[in-house]
Amino acid sequence: MNIIKKPSWHISENEVTPQELFDKRRSFIKLGAASLITSGAIIEALAKDNIPVPNLKYIKDKNIDNLKLNTYEQITSYNNFYEFTTSKEGVKDLAHTLDTSNWQIEIDGLVEKPFTLHLEDLISKMTIEERIYRFRCVEGWSMVVPWNGFALKDLIKMAKPLSNAKYVRFETLYDDDMFPDQRRGIFASIEYPYVEGLRMDEAMNDLSFLAVGLYGSRLPNQNGAPIRLVVPWKYGFKSIKSIVKISFVEEEPLNTWQKANSKEYGFYANVNPNVDHPRWSQKRERVLGKFFKQKTLMFNGYEKEVAHLYKGMDLRKYI
Amino acid sequence: MKRSIIHLLMISPLVLLLIELFIIEVNDPIKYIYTVTGVASTVILFFSITISMIKHKINLMKFRKDIGLFGFFYALLHMINFIVFDAQLDIVFIFEETIDKPFIYLGTIAFFILLFMAITSTKRLYKKYSHCHRAVYFALLLITIHFVMAQKTIDIDLLCYIIAILVIAYYKLLQIIVRNNKV
Repeated sequence: MNIIKKPSWHISENEVTPQELFDKRRSFIKLGAASLITSGAIIEALAKDNIPVPNLKYIKDKNIDNLKLNTYEQITSYNNFYEFTTSKEGVKDLAHTLDTSNWQIEIDGLVEKPFTLHLEDLISKMTIEERIYRFRCVEGWSMVVPWNGFALKDLIKMAKPLSNAKYVRFETLYDDDMFPDQRRGIFASIEYPYVEGLRMDEAMNDLSFLAVGLYGSRLPNQNGAPIRLVVPWKYGFKSIKSIVKISFVEEEPLNTWQKANSKEYGFYANVNPNVDHPRWSQKRERVLGKFFKQKTLMFNGYEKEVAHLYKGMDLRKYI
Repeated sequence: MKRSIIHLLMISPLVLLLIELFIIEVNDPIKYIYTVTGVASTVILFFSITISMIKHKINLMKFRKDIGLFGFFYALLHMINFIVFDAQLDIVFIFEETIDKPFIYLGTIAFFILLFMAITSTKRLYKKYSHCHRAVYFALLLITIHFVMAQKTIDIDLLCYIIAILVIAYYKLLQIIVRNNKV
């Protein structure tokens, strides 16, 4: 009698995972993971609009004004970022040269003690929230963006400004290895580094926001990664991108566009349908993706929150 | 053969515009229509004034009228975009803006010069008004200013256009001076 003695490691044929199933194991895991974090409808939306899988935890905005969001695709493929190019459609393809790893922000000027912040440390200290804001460009187009980030005033409190600090000045990275237009010297389209500023009370307003993400994931380079300002009641050029330096100062900072053309662009740049740009009307705006224009709102729809900041000021003079 | 190549070339910006608008779906359609029709009109009109300069190399003289009319066609689309989509047929707004803003009235004056030239381009009327067609140079000057004013800054692309325009203007002046001295 031939008795087959099986070795201890022997596994019978029916216990073995078939080859084809074994080969599919990775996609199976992915599918399972995806279904864990998101519902079917969200997966569908993410896939349809090319939205990256969210990688930020944040408190959701209730969107009480019921603003209709622009798509991720629209928000990330139509950008003014002159450090790359003046073509709004062209920024996206060039923006990969910006390296945002190990990003640091210098805090200086009229503060108790100047210091340098590592962005990742800063983000881990802050409670990240979502803010759904209207965004209106001085050129006449607009969009609605779900930003993720934290209130600017929280960072200002951390910086401990002195009592004679009247303005906050922001500066974008200057690095001509990363930004092609900064290499062009006298042929550059604007002067670098890009500078913006806010009056202290504007900066401390609840609406003033530092964004590190949009649609739930970290900012793509073309939208001003890794950290940018968002001041929704002002024209878009005030919302400075890729910030490396925040200074507290006594005098009103000379912002880049005012320096370039002070007849057309001022320090305040509040959205105002009643004051035209010298070359075009500001009464209406072109919402991205739409053929028909809509009325522009005073202070871009944030009159209730910010109008008091400009009481008694001639808004035709302080453009 | 030559005629169909020229017509194809002249129509290509319109084809591009329609593809971008209805198939690719651009983000900012009104702005996109302005850019494509404005650039197409400017390039075609500048090209039309070089035809008499290059006629010894390539003779396109008999297509000059067609080419000029295509230049006008894109200017017309540009104007329609302003009236219908940008101003949404608000006549008061159109009137106020035109009076108020140099950027807009320079473009409008140039458009009316081109309109006049297009109307008087028939054989019968051209005989009567051909001398007036020199106004195209004035229109081109206004178009150039309007074009520069449409930009937020002067970048490399714009510099290239300006240099090309100056080169054409230089040779055109030279041609006119030489012609006048012969007489």
